[in-house]
Amino acid sequence: MLKGGLIPGRPYLLSGSVGSGKTTLGIQFLQQGVKQGERALFVSIDEPPVEVRENVRSLGWDVGKIRILDVHPSAKAYSKKVSMVEVGAQRSVGSLREATTDGKAEAMKQASPDLSAQTLQMMLRQELSETRYSRVVIDSLTSLRRLTNLEEDPEMSINSLLRFLSEAGVTAIIVADFPDPTRLDIESFVCRGEIRLHKVMASSRIERFITVEKIRGSAHDTMPRPMTISGAGITVASKRKVSPTVLKALQAVPTVYVR
Amino acid sequence: MIREKLKTGVPGLDEMLDGGLIPGRPYIVSGTSGTGKTTLAMRFLLEGAMNGEKVLYVALDEPPNEVKANLRSFGWDISGVTVFDATLDIMSYDKTPVRDVSSERKPVPMKDIGDHIRKTPDKGPADMTVNTLQEMLKQEMRLRKYTRVVVDSTTSIERFYIRTSEEYSTMQSFFRLMTDLGVTSILTVQLPEVTSPTPESRMARAEIRLHKWFDGKGLNRAITIEKYRGSAHDDRLRQFKITDHGIEIRLETTRKSREPKKAMQAEPESAQHPAIAPPAATQPVPAPIPEEVPLPPPPAQEQVTQPAPPPQGGDGA
Repeated sequence: MLKGGLIPGRPYLLSGSVGSGKTTLGIQFLQQGVKQGERALFVSIDEPPVEVRENVRSLGWDVGKIRILDVHPSAKAYSKKVSMVEVGAQRSVGSLREATTDGKAEAMKQASPDLSAQTLQMMLRQELSETRYSRVVIDSLTSLRRLTNLEEDPEMSINSLLRFLSEAGVTAIIVADFPDPTRLDIESFVCRGEIRLHKVMASSRIERFITVEKIRGSAHDTMPRPMTISGAGITVASKRKVSPTVLKALQAVPTVYVR
Repeated sequence: MIREKLKTGVPGLDEMLDGGLIPGRPYIVSGTSGTGKTTLAMRFLLEGAMNGEKVLYVALDEPPNEVKANLRSFGWDISGVTVFDATLDIMSYDKTPVRDVSSERKPVPMKDIGDHIRKTPDKGPADMTVNTLQEMLKQEMRLRKYTRVVVDSTTSIERFYIRTSEEYSTMQSFFRLMTDLGVTSILTVQLPEVTSPTPESRMARAEIRLHKWFDGKGLNRAITIEKYRGSAHDDRLRQFKITDHGIEIRLETTRKSREPKKAMQAEPESAQHPAIAPPAATQPVPAPIPEEVPLPPPPAQEQVTQPAPPPQGGDGA
C-alpha cells in the first residue's frame, strides 16, 4: 500500500479508534527494525510496559530487543517536585522482555515530574544521545497532549518534539486517536503521512480495514484494504477489496467533501 | 487598468482562472492535508522561474530538504527557486536565550538545499515569529525583486508564529504586507476535514480549493475556484490527478462531467448514492462526483430550490 514502505527520517501519524490495532501495528514496525539489526524504541504512555509485554506475548512474538521508555504516569506524588533540568536523567529504559513492575522503577517514578511533550523531548534527547535508534513509536500523542501541563503551549511542544525526531534522523510513528474532522490538529499536517485503522460493525461482526490518507513524496494505495489481527500481528490484504457493507460504512466517515 | 495576468503553469488552472492570476495580489490555495497544495504552489513558482522571474518559497511546515526530495519525482527543474527555511527549531526548555533569526538564516537557491534537515544550532533555537518573517521578506525584496512568493502555510503562522492573541489582525497585516511588496503570492491554508470559512478566505483576492474524497471506487481529487475578485472564473468543480507531471486538471465539459454538479444541487436523498443519481447518457468515466457527506447541513439556498422542478426535469442549461 505504501509502495515499498515509509521514507526514512520522517514522522508519520497512525490514527484509529480504540481497539483498532494501533499499538500492535506500532510494535510490528519496531519488530521489523529489530529483525534488520536496527535499534527500536517504544515510548509507552498509555499502558504500563509490563502490560504491553503481556499483550504482545499473547501474539507469540519475541520482542526482547525492542527497547521501551516507560513514561506511563505513576500515581501522582505531590510532595516531590523535580525541576525540568533534572528530568533528562530520570528515565527508565529497559528491554521489553525485562519489563516488570519492580519497586525501584516505581520509586524513581514517584520522584519524577509530570510527563509532558517538553519533558518527553528532554528524555528522548538523552536516550538518543546514548543509543542510535532508527525507529521510534510514541503511544500515544493523544495522551501526551492531555498530560501537557498548563504553562506550556501543547502545539508548540508537540511540533518541537516532532522536529527533534526529524533532526535525529529517526523514522517515527506517532499513535493518536481517530481525528475529530472539525478540528485541525497540528500532528495531521506536521506529520509527513497518515495511516488510519478503521473498525466497523458490519452484519454483527467487527470488520477491520486500513487506509493510507497521505504520504508526502510518494505514491500510495488510495483504496481501503481489509486487515486482520492474528498470531502474526496485523496482516493487510493489499490486493483485496473491502466488503460492500464496509464500504457503505466508510462512506459515512467524513473523509471528504466539504463545501 | 489590470495588467496582463500571470500564468500559474498548472495545466488547466489558467483556463479556470480566465487566463491566470492578476499580478501583485495575495491568493490562497486551501485544502485538507495531502490534497496537493504544495505541489500546486511549487508549480506556480516554477512557471515564474522558467520565465526568468525571481521567485521565493517560504517553508514553514515542511523542511525544504523534504520538499525538494518530494518534488524530485515530477522531474521539474526547481534550481531557480529561492528558498527561505523558516521552519521552527527544536525548542529548548532550559534557559538558553533565544536569538534573533535575521542574522543567521538567509534565503538560498533550491540547488543548495542538502539532503538532510537543517539542525537546530547548538547555541539554541532562533526566535522565529511573524515579525521576523515580515522583516526578512522586506529585506529580501530590497535585495532581489521577486515577482512570485509562496508562503507554505499560513496555518503554521497562526499556530506557531503569532505569539499574541491578535491573530486576525496580525494575519490581515501579513496579507497587507504581501500586497505592499508588490509580489503575486500564493499562501497555503490547511483545512480540517469538515470546515467553515477561514479568515484567510476573506483576506485573499482569490481562493483556489483542493478537495479529495473517497467514493467507493477510490480517491477522487477535484479543484474549485471559490472566489476571484476582479476576474471571471470557472464555477465548476473540476477533477484532477496528480501524475508524474504534477497536477493535471481535466477540463473537457462533456455531459458526464456536468452530471456531478447536478447531483450536488439535488436533494441529499436522491443524490446520496451514484446508483440513484439520474442515469447519465453513458457510463460515467471516473465515477460521478459525490455521495454527499451528510455532515454539513445543506446550504440555505437549497431550501429555496426545493420547490423548483425535480432534479431530473430541471436541466440547468
